[in-house]
Amino acid sequence: MSYNSSVNISVEAPIENQIQEITYDGTEIYQPPLTLSESLAKYAQKIDFSKTTEVDIKKEEAEEAKSDADNKDALQSSLWPWDSARNKLRSALQEVCVLADVLAIAKDKRYLILDSVQQEPLETKPMVQIYARKKALQGAANVLLTGAEKLKTSQNEAARNRATLDFHIELLRLRQNWRLKKVSNTIIGDLSYRTAGSKYLQTGTFEVTKAEDEEKPGSPPTSPLPAGSAPSKPASALRVSIPSELQGVAYIEVLCQKDQEDLCSANINLLGSGPPPSNPDMHWQQKLEAAQNVLFCKELFNQLAKEAVQLQAPVPHMVVGNQIMATVLPGIQLIIGLCHSTTGDKKQPNPPPAKSEHDHVLEHSLHQLLREVHHRNTHHPFPHPATGPLGPSKKRMMAGPMAADRYELLEMTKSETLLEQIVKQAQHFIMRMRTEYVLDTIAKEVKDPLISSHWNTLNSPTQSCVKINISTHGYDALCRTPLVIHVGEKSLKCICRDGKVMNMSYEPQELRDLIFCHINQHQILAVQALAKTMGWQALGNSNHLGTGSVEPLGNASSCLLSSPTGDRIIAVRCEPQAGTQVSVAHTPRTDFFPSRLVTEKKWEHLGGQFRDVRLEKMEGRNFLHKMELLMASLTSNS
Amino acid sequence: MSAHSAPGTAMDSLSAALKCNIIPNQEYLLQGSVLDQYVEVLLHRLRGLCDNVDSGPESFHDHELCFTLRAANTGTPMVLPLRVRRALDVSDAPFQLRYVGQQELGDKSRPTVVRSSIDMACSSTIIDFLTELGCRLDFEYIARGYMFRKGRMKITVSKIFKMGGSKPGEGVEAISQSYLVELSVLAPSGQDAIGEDMRIFAEQLRPLVQLEKIDYKRLGNMAM
Repeated sequence: MSYNSSVNISVEAPIENQIQEITYDGTEIYQPPLTLSESLAKYAQKIDFSKTTEVDIKKEEAEEAKSDADNKDALQSSLWPWDSARNKLRSALQEVCVLADVLAIAKDKRYLILDSVQQEPLETKPMVQIYARKKALQGAANVLLTGAEKLKTSQNEAARNRATLDFHIELLRLRQNWRLKKVSNTIIGDLSYRTAGSKYLQTGTFEVTKAEDEEKPGSPPTSPLPAGSAPSKPASALRVSIPSELQGVAYIEVLCQKDQEDLCSANINLLGSGPPPSNPDMHWQQKLEAAQNVLFCKELFNQLAKEAVQLQAPVPHMVVGNQIMATVLPGIQLIIGLCHSTTGDKKQPNPPPAKSEHDHVLEHSLHQLLREVHHRNTHHPFPHPATGPLGPSKKRMMAGPMAADRYELLEMTKSETLLEQIVKQAQHFIMRMRTEYVLDTIAKEVKDPLISSHWNTLNSPTQSCVKINISTHGYDALCRTPLVIHVGEKSLKCICRDGKVMNMSYEPQELRDLIFCHINQHQILAVQALAKTMGWQALGNSNHLGTGSVEPLGNASSCLLSSPTGDRIIAVRCEPQAGTQVSVAHTPRTDFFPSRLVTEKKWEHLGGQFRDVRLEKMEGRNFLHKMELLMASLTSNS
Repeated sequence: MSAHSAPGTAMDSLSAALKCNIIPNQEYLLQGSVLDQYVEVLLHRLRGLCDNVDSGPESFHDHELCFTLRAANTGTPMVLPLRVRRALDVSDAPFQLRYVGQQELGDKSRPTVVRSSIDMACSSTIIDFLTELGCRLDFEYIARGYMFRKGRMKITVSKIFKMGGSKPGEGVEAISQSYLVELSVLAPSGQDAIGEDMRIFAEQLRPLVQLEKIDYKRLGNMAM
């Protein structure tokens, strides 16, 4: 506060007094300004004392002012300016005095008692009241109704404006399903699977912009998900621009095909039969999903191609362009192709139909395998106890305390590649198909013992199981030969009736031979079981008979049965090639002629010559039925 | 011959790993606590923030024994703390032996406490081994709670119990009415960028839990 530096400012009232007179020469003669007391009196006159209550305090102030004025100008005329004020104050004083007196008397309660006055109830007419209320309510209702009407119209207007969808609402919906961020003035989204565990290097960024051109008005608002969107695409206020390499539609084509001389079919990477090519006014949700799928397929194919080059397979895998070729089984190839069609690419609307069908199951498995990899990348096991490091697997954590050696540690680092896994699945697929085929053809070929196969519904992509029952119609309670075949990736494992385990390779002929062998064994066993019920005696049997003509595959099996009295003998021989032979011998022969060698009849009990039975001429539905009839006819009463 | 060369190569590779600085032996740590009645809110928030909580939070129940090895012959008292921890809820999990070094608080610019930490899995005979070695059991406790992960960060919310009975798991008594919250990352030394990530994460838990650099020495003074 330095006074020397500040400038003095004088404040005074403007000299604008009222003009009293203007002389002819134009000079204005002002009224002299009011003195202090005069102006006070002037203001005092303005006080309205009738406005009591609120201005009580002011009155007191005025009173004080008045006393001051009295002291100052005692000798004023009766018409002095404070006269009215004084009169009013005097009357007020009188009233106050009277009130004070009344209160003093009332306080004594001897002469005067203050009592509350009974108020006269107002005479109310109910009808009038009802009318009044009705009117009031009517008024209120009208106010509300008009307000509601106004709100409705404004909302309608807003809705009509929003018919060409609001950009921000669309953006909100986009934000609910996709990752977005703002980079300076643009909105960038990410559709890659990075956050889900993918380590693919290609980025999946897209840009979100406002659709600049005016859309047709009146189209209905889009549903947030395009699943149920009408064929007439509603216009969207939002536009997503996807990098050109992610545009279009892509899928992974998986084929299993037999050896072909032309190793590469040229038209495989041109897509035409897939889903319709994307059009520019596709909904952004579909567009993004398609792009994400393209990215996924690319990652999958990239991974597979990398593995195909690195893997040391006995028959090396081939990667040519958009195709990977891997040998599954001798003569059978698995072809995995990446089919990617860009939007405008419609050069080949109908490519020549592929030789073998696209395998949807294997395609799905491929997708699943990559998703598993993603899942493993993000889901690391938690350490127990909790202070342990994050990351190493439980097995790895145990490696120290369990003193794992170098070999075990190396084993831990190994993991099956996607290609190996899919090749295994393809192998299993082929094996399953072959097994099915063999079983079906045998069931068709062989009518006599019935062959039924039941495939287990529970199986894995690389293992399944089939149960085979060999039985004879009408005699299935008598004898049944069950077999179980485990179908693996490159081999079959058969568990036989007696618990024997047979391992077979991928060649279908081996399975075929095994089944035929079991059919013969079944027949022999069934005949023996039948003989037991008929009272016949099984003298002996052999599953692998060494005598007789040599079979190209497997051995013949046979059995020998004798009648209850022992005078008849039946020999049965089953061969995979020749079928069933039945011979009958009678001992002793019904007629005996002594010869030089055999002089007495008793030697005839040693057994006689066998004579073949022509089964095909016999009565009976099937082999067992015929045998039953044969045994019945040969059983003598004696 | 290969047996002779194997230890040599193992040592070589270990020293090479040390030289390349790929062994995660630094622990970046922030600690805080939350009252029992608000722990549900915290867990809920962590479920929202952390990775892979679709299957629910992972629980743990551990028993920790703290040993010290004192060097008697030297004039200056040298104390080597060693911690053995085992999981009570997972029967086939290994025991964990852990050395936690002196913590460096650093100045204000460093967002987390950094301390050296070496841990290894071992078998159950570690306790006998340490006792034979001359280690003395200082104290033991039981920690039970939940753990979460977010990238490389591990978040544990645990309640500490005093050991009551002779066997772990019986007669336990809670030490306080609150849960211990720890945010930690194990990384090779020199990766200080992770501290910033941790600070940002801790910021998101802010009003519920104040995850801070806790100075134990100061805490000791406060108690006195």
